[in-house]
This record gives sequence, C-alpha cells and structure tokens, in this order.
Amino acid sequence: MKKITPAKAGTYVVLTFWALTTLYPFVWVILNSFREKGLIRKDSFSIPIPGNGFTMGNYEKAMERFDFSNAYLNSLIVSIAVTIAVVVIAGFAAYGLVRYRFRLRGLCYSLIMAGMMFPVFSTIIPVFRMEAAWGIASSGNRWLSLLAVILPQIAGNLCFAIIVLMGFIESVPMELEESAYMDGCHVFQVYFHIIIPAAKSSFATVAIFSFLWSYNDLFTQNFFLRTPKEKTITLMLNEISSQAGVDYGLMAASVVLIVVPVLIVYILLQKHIIKGLTAGAIKG
Amino acid sequence: MKKNRLLAITLASALTLGLLAGCGSGNQTGGSGGGTPAGSGVELNVVTSYGGDDGNRKQYEAAVASYEAATGNTILDASASSNEEWKAKVLTDFQTGTEPDVLFFFTNADAEPFIQAGKVVDVATIRAAYPDYAGNMRDSMMAVASDGKTYAVPSSGFWENMFVNTKVLSDCGVAVPGPDYTWDQFLADCETIKAKGYAPIACSLFEIPHYWFEFCVMNNGTLENQLDLPASADDAAGQKWAAALNDIKDLYERGFFPVNTLTATDAETVQLFGDGEAAFLIDGSWKVNYFVDNYPDSLSDYAISYVPAKGERKASEAIGGISMGYFITKKAWDDPTKQAAAVDFVKHMTSDEVMSTFVTTEVTALKNGASPAGLNALQQAAADANANITGVIGAVQDTVSSECKTDLFANVQNVVTGKMSAADAINSAIALN
Amino acid sequence: MGPTLYRKKGPLIAFLLPAFGFLILFLYYPFLQNILNSFSDITGLGSAAKGFNDPWYVNYTTLFTDPKLRTALRNTVLLTLCTVICQVGIALILALLVDSIRVGAQLFRTLYFFPIVISATALGLMFNLIFLFNGGMLNQLLSNLGIITENIDWKDPDHFLFTMFAPVMWQYVGFYFVILVTGLNNISQDLYEAAALDGCTGLNRVRYVTLPLLRNVLCTCLVLAITGALKVFDLPWVMFGAGMPQDRGWLTGTYMYDQTFNRGNVDYGSAIAILIVVLGVLFSNVANRVFKTRDDI
Repeated sequence: MKKITPAKAGTYVVLTFWALTTLYPFVWVILNSFREKGLIRKDSFSIPIPGNGFTMGNYEKAMERFDFSNAYLNSLIVSIAVTIAVVVIAGFAAYGLVRYRFRLRGLCYSLIMAGMMFPVFSTIIPVFRMEAAWGIASSGNRWLSLLAVILPQIAGNLCFAIIVLMGFIESVPMELEESAYMDGCHVFQVYFHIIIPAAKSSFATVAIFSFLWSYNDLFTQNFFLRTPKEKTITLMLNEISSQAGVDYGLMAASVVLIVVPVLIVYILLQKHIIKGLTAGAIKG
Repeated sequence: MKKNRLLAITLASALTLGLLAGCGSGNQTGGSGGGTPAGSGVELNVVTSYGGDDGNRKQYEAAVASYEAATGNTILDASASSNEEWKAKVLTDFQTGTEPDVLFFFTNADAEPFIQAGKVVDVATIRAAYPDYAGNMRDSMMAVASDGKTYAVPSSGFWENMFVNTKVLSDCGVAVPGPDYTWDQFLADCETIKAKGYAPIACSLFEIPHYWFEFCVMNNGTLENQLDLPASADDAAGQKWAAALNDIKDLYERGFFPVNTLTATDAETVQLFGDGEAAFLIDGSWKVNYFVDNYPDSLSDYAISYVPAKGERKASEAIGGISMGYFITKKAWDDPTKQAAAVDFVKHMTSDEVMSTFVTTEVTALKNGASPAGLNALQQAAADANANITGVIGAVQDTVSSECKTDLFANVQNVVTGKMSAADAINSAIALN
Repeated sequence: MGPTLYRKKGPLIAFLLPAFGFLILFLYYPFLQNILNSFSDITGLGSAAKGFNDPWYVNYTTLFTDPKLRTALRNTVLLTLCTVICQVGIALILALLVDSIRVGAQLFRTLYFFPIVISATALGLMFNLIFLFNGGMLNQLLSNLGIITENIDWKDPDHFLFTMFAPVMWQYVGFYFVILVTGLNNISQDLYEAAALDGCTGLNRVRYVTLPLLRNVLCTCLVLAITGALKVFDLPWVMFGAGMPQDRGWLTGTYMYDQTFNRGNVDYGSAIAILIVVLGVLFSNVANRVFKTRDDI
C-alpha cells in the first residue's frame, strides 16, 4: 500500500469539488420538488419535512394531467430505434471510410463534417414536406408519426457517430485484419469479428449519446408529434412547464419526473456502460 | 464474437422490418380512411389553440368529450398553445395537404394564405346545405375575409383592461381607479407606490410590451383613429405611435416598471402582481382564469379597473373584439363521410350552451348572448368594470403582419433604453408590413 | 502498399450506402433547399417562395451590415473560445486525474456524465430557478451569506455572459470527459510501463506519452466543441429567449431560429444557417490542420 501523497490528496479534492457542482443542482431541484408552493423563493435550502413545507402535491398535479406511461413508451420506442439504427449504419460507414482508399473519400469526409453543422431548424421544413408527401407525417397515426421523428433523428445523429467511430477505428492496428483476411475471412466477417470487438467502447459511447440526444430532442419531436397519444416525455415536460408559469414546485417535479427514468436506466446500465467505456479495446 | 455478430444482424433486420412495417401500415391507413361506412363513428382531425397553457383548455376538453359522447364520433385533437411556431405549423400543413378537418384559428390576415388558396369552405356554401349553420351568431360580427366572404364561425372574444392589486393600493393609500382615471393622476399614484417600495407596474418590457403599446397609442389618439396605420414615422399615425413609445419610455425612466423588466419573463412580472409586490397590470380577459386557478384564496385582492387616459381618450374606452373562429376545410367538406360530422362539431362548439362554458365576461357574437353560470369575485369585478366601458375597439397590432409586430415589440427595449429613437423603431417595423 | 484486404472496392458500397442514403434524404437534400431558399423571397414558414430576391444575393450583403448578427458572431466566437479552453480543458484535466487514481474512479466517471443525461429543456428550467432574480438559488445563497443586500439581476448586460455560458460549459464538460476517458483507456498499458522503465512518470509522462497519443481524440473534441458552439441553441433559448438583454445576448443559433421561426424571415434565416455551416467547416479545418498529425484526410 502506498501512503497518501499531497498530490493524490489534491487530485481527490479537485475531483470531489467538480462532482459536487455536478450533483448539487440536482439535489436542490429534487428537494424543492417536494416543497410547498411559494416557499421555494423564500427558503430553498432547508430539507422539506412533513409539517414544514413538505408536500407531494407537485407530483400529484403533474401525474393527474398526463398519461406518463404512454409518454415514456413513446420516448423509448423513438430513442431505442434511433440508437440501433445509428450504431449499425454509422459503424458500417466509419469502417468503410477509414479502411478503404477511394477517390471520393475526401469529399465524403467533408460532407460528413459539414452535415454535423447543419442546424436542424434549416432542414426541418423540407423534411416535413417530404414526409408529408410520403404520408407518414401528420397522418394522425401514432406509429407513423413516431417513424416520422425517428428518420430525421437518425440522420441527425449519424454524422457525429461516424466522426467519433472513425477516430477509434483508425487506432485499431490493421495487422489483425490483414491476417484474418489471409485466413480466408470476408470483409464483413473482419468487421464483425475484429473491428466491433476492438472498438466496442466507442460503439457504446455512440449508442449512449444517440439515445440521449434522441430522448432529449425537443425541437424535432415538437414538430412531428401533435396528438396527445403521440406525445413523448420531453414534450410533456415542455407542456407542463409552459402551463406551470411560475409554479416552480411543479416545474421542479416535472424536471425530476423526466430525469428519473434516464437516471435509473443509467445507474442500472452504468456498470456495462463504464465497462464498455473502459474495456481497453487494444490489449497488448 | 459469434454472439456479437448475431446481435448486430438481428438488430439490422429488426430495423429493416420495422421500416417496412411502418410503410405497410401507412398504406392501410390511407386505404381505410376513405372506406369507413357512414354512421359507424367518424374520426375528425381537429386543431385548435386550446392546448398547452390556454386558460380555456379544460372547458374545451369537456366540450369535445360531450361531442364525442353525443355523436359516437372521435376527435383526433392536435391542439397546441398559440404562438408563431404554431401558426407556422398550421400554415405548413395547408401547404403540404395535411391540414385538419376543423381548424380553430385567427380570422385576421393570418388566415388569408389558406383562404386565398381555397382550402377552407365559406359559411354561405355550408348554409346552402345546412341552413342553420352558425344560425345563433350575429352575421354582422363575423369576420369578413379579403374576398368579401365569411369563413369562420366566431368563438368567444376578448377584452384588454387594467388589473389592479387592491391590497397594494390600500397599503399605499391610493384609491382604486375609476372610469375617469387620468394619466397625471396615474403618474402621481405610481410615484406614491414606488416610494412605498412596491413596483408600480407589473410588465415585462422584454416579452410583453404590447398591452401598454396598444393603450398608449389610444391615449395619443382617439377610439376612432385607433386602427389607422402609419406609412412612415412622420405621418399622423406614425407620430401617434412614436408618442406612444415615448410614453412607455417615460414610465421606464421614472422607474415605474420592475427593476428587471428588461430581463424578466411575463410569468415573473405577473407573479409580482399576484403576490402583491406590484400594483398595476394591463392584461386580457384570458388572465382572469389564471388568477382563479393560481390564487383562488386571494381573488378579492384583485380588481379590474381602467387604463389611465390622456388627451381625447376616456379611461372607460378599452380594447376588445373577437379574433378567432372555427373553419371547416375543403378537405373535410368534400369527404362525404366527414362533412356532416365536421358541421356538427362546429355547431356543437359554437352552440349557446358550450359557448357559455367558455365565456365569463368576454364579447361574443351570439344573438342571445352567453349565460355563464355563477361568477367568482374577480369575474364579477370584470363584469362590473365592463358595465362602465363606453367604447371598445380592436387592437391595431392585430391588423399588421406578424413580422412587423415582432420587430416593433422587440425594439421597445431599445427605445426605452435610448439605443434607438421611437421614429426609427416605427420605420423599421412598418417596412416589414 | 495498402493492405490487400481493402483493394476490392465492392463491399464499400454496402458500407456507405445506408449512411449516405439517410444523409442525402434527410440532410443534404433539405440543406440544398435551404441554399435555394437563401436566394429566394419567402415571407412565412409555411409559404412557398415568391421568386428570387432582388438582387438575388441581398441576404448575403445584409449579413455584413446586420448589427445583431455581428453581436451574435462576437458572442459565438467568445463562446467557442470558452468552450475550447474551459470545456475541453477542464474535461482533459478531470480525465487525466481520474485516470491517475484507482479508488473511486468509477464513481467520478459516473457522476461527471450526469449532466449530459438531462435534456437542455430540463436544464434550462433548472438554471432559470437558480439564476432567478427574485428568490433564485444564487441570490438566496449570496444574501444568506451576507455578500449581497440587493438581488443581482443575473441576466442584465453586466452579468449575462456568465449566466449564459456557465450552464453550457457545465453541461458539456462531462461529454468531452467521456470521450477523453475512452481515449485514455485505449492507450496501451504497456506503453506506460515502457515509459516508466525510461524514468518517465507523473507530469512528464502526461506530456510526452499521454498527450501525443491523445492527439487525435483531442482533435475530435476540438471539432465537436467548435461545431457545437456554433449551433448551441436550447439552453440559451430557454434561459434568454430573443436576444436578452437588449439585443446583446444573441448567438448565431438563437438568432437564426428567431429570424426563421419568430420573424418569418425564412430566407434570411437560411442565409445565416449557411454562414454557420461555412464558419464551422472553416474553423474545424483550421483545428484539423493545427492539431491533427495525419494529413491524409
């Protein structure tokens, strides 16, 4: 065992400080979601206890208005579909772009870089018109409307995913692939047997971000999902907050309600996520 | 390794299947839409602005439910709260052919794009087949489009006037303003209130300066010329607008608005008023329900009073009218399965009984008038104030394009801080009309 | 000599087709429309072009004279600098520190990722509560501690830059942290051991082993930070809306949104979108030139 050096202690102080700034705002919001209306602006730091400003009313109010389970279901359908599609499609593209040398490669790369910068506001109207012409947007059918959100979200996350995956696939040593090929493996087998296991951690990273961005993307969802049964949890939060006005307790409660499922998923999967992130792909 | 590969292939094929299935079901919906046998429950797509934070959302939902129960039809409701993005969505829907069957929308210039495109049916055409359509409405109060025809069946109207916090006023020893309230008296009252440590006027000049603008314009003109539009900042109407902006600037410089009026949201400043930290608030009839919902225990602390008058205007003259109504789209009208259902729906929503649940103190076009049940203290105060109103006119800002409006009100903050002259702000806005 | 495996170009089509199919349909084609729009006269979001502008390039000349756009660009460049220095900087320090410890490393990784999990809308609501003028968390805290006697208006011209940037910084540190930690984990332990044998430890190891090996990942972070800053929208929009305070608070993202969706000035908004893309490509190319070692891309 080593003893604790000043450097080590300093490291922990810095790390703990940042951890606190990350955590505290959430703790503050969670505490205040249980506080009676009006007290937040006077005394927001104490812990609300029954008899002293504690209330479940904010949650009751939020739950009574909205069909939360349906909204969570919609959110999950959209985000999971987007995540799977992005990981599969971007993985292929990144692999192709990194390993193959071809004439249009530079152009493809620039196109992807540029694609990352297109603001969604400038592409949404043409996309909406196109999807309306196909009959999937504004159809009144719940599943089609969800599909209408999923498709542009996939495209919106692809560029980022390709860029990140390219960075990691580049660092996979090529010798393995070459020898696998010598052993008679097809390119697709090389991809599935060598590249994916080697870059597993970055695939996990891309999957997490695709999921989160899709789940949290208010703008696209707001444009395509209109009837109550299509609404996702993010839209619902937006609606609640616009109705709440200055009911800060209700607002805090809806923030908690939208965040909690993600946190539960995150904490449950956290071991796998961290494992994925730290799986030290290139051993030895 | 094998597992990974299997997983990836499964996922990929699941996705492909999902996409195919999506397309498949799309065709089915398209096919069955036209073939629904009559009488077995029609599905109507409806878009209104009674979603989100609208004060009448509950009443609207109840009215829809009673229509569904009475007819067996289903309403696919895609209502939202009204803002520029919502308007844009509605107009885009008309362009892409995905408009709803029944639309509740603004009847002014905003509706012209789809009226001119022939996407909605006029009331006369509907009456040829359904003679009693909108029969309970006064025709003279229905909005006329640029082609001289009437398209929308009007719903409840609105008024704008001054809300006062009587508790703050009595603490400052200021009397509740009457219908003869003058601007000078108002300035003096504000000074007293400010000295007591309250914010005299609850208003976010950043977000919602438009109530003050409207009344200040009237204060610098008359009820009759309220709707005159300037061609530039130099003509009579332009000078009137400039004087109005400068009146707001004067109030700002005297410190009568909340300290953070340029960075606060409307919700924050209204809360100041509600919590008894500000004395005056100009707002619309829709705000009454806000106080009923959020401050049920202190409704008697608020009253509806009169906006102080200057020049030829009387304090008893206010802004009001009817700005929205129900449209039936051509798409629904030409669909034999939907036509009757759509007509019935509009008739139901604009019937005397349903309208009476929406209306407390607002104007309606109903021949018999609305008969709201039991007014609470604040609604009663509003009704009392309305009884003294001697003149009502529509808002001039509703007659200009939304680009012009947005630009003008975004520049109010620059005018009051002296970064821009009132004349420049008006010229800039008028150029966009 | 390239590897023989990748000489046959056949499979390449299968690799690239799905991605570019999606991108062309949902990104490039709409953006081409957007370019066309920037030369057209469009008065409303839902309305079709009334023909070309007169002169057709007028939106692009306006870009140079529009004072609000100048403000937006200045703020955005400032934000980009802060992003690069603070976000990537803090994330790098945190990543290196976490990489250097054993006990609790997992915990910190878990915690730092936290803010990313939450939507900008929810964060915007939260920060609005924190920076609220009348009874917000910060003002309550400061007055409880006796530091201030009068509430500070955190969104006024003196404070808005801090109020606008801090949440954006705070939110995305975790994002770059994760990418960097992933990069650090990809560095082989053998290299560290070899370096240790050569007597290279501590800060020296960071400088001569870790950072050079992290270069490509850092470069990715930089590009992401730059493009992210040019596009940043949700948090500032929820907290500040249209250019608060007094037209000083614009960012290119919020200004473009306001022009397109609130002002109905669709064609000008399109021109701003193109400016954003051009600047983004330009800046990230510079970053690539400066930082990336490999020049084959």
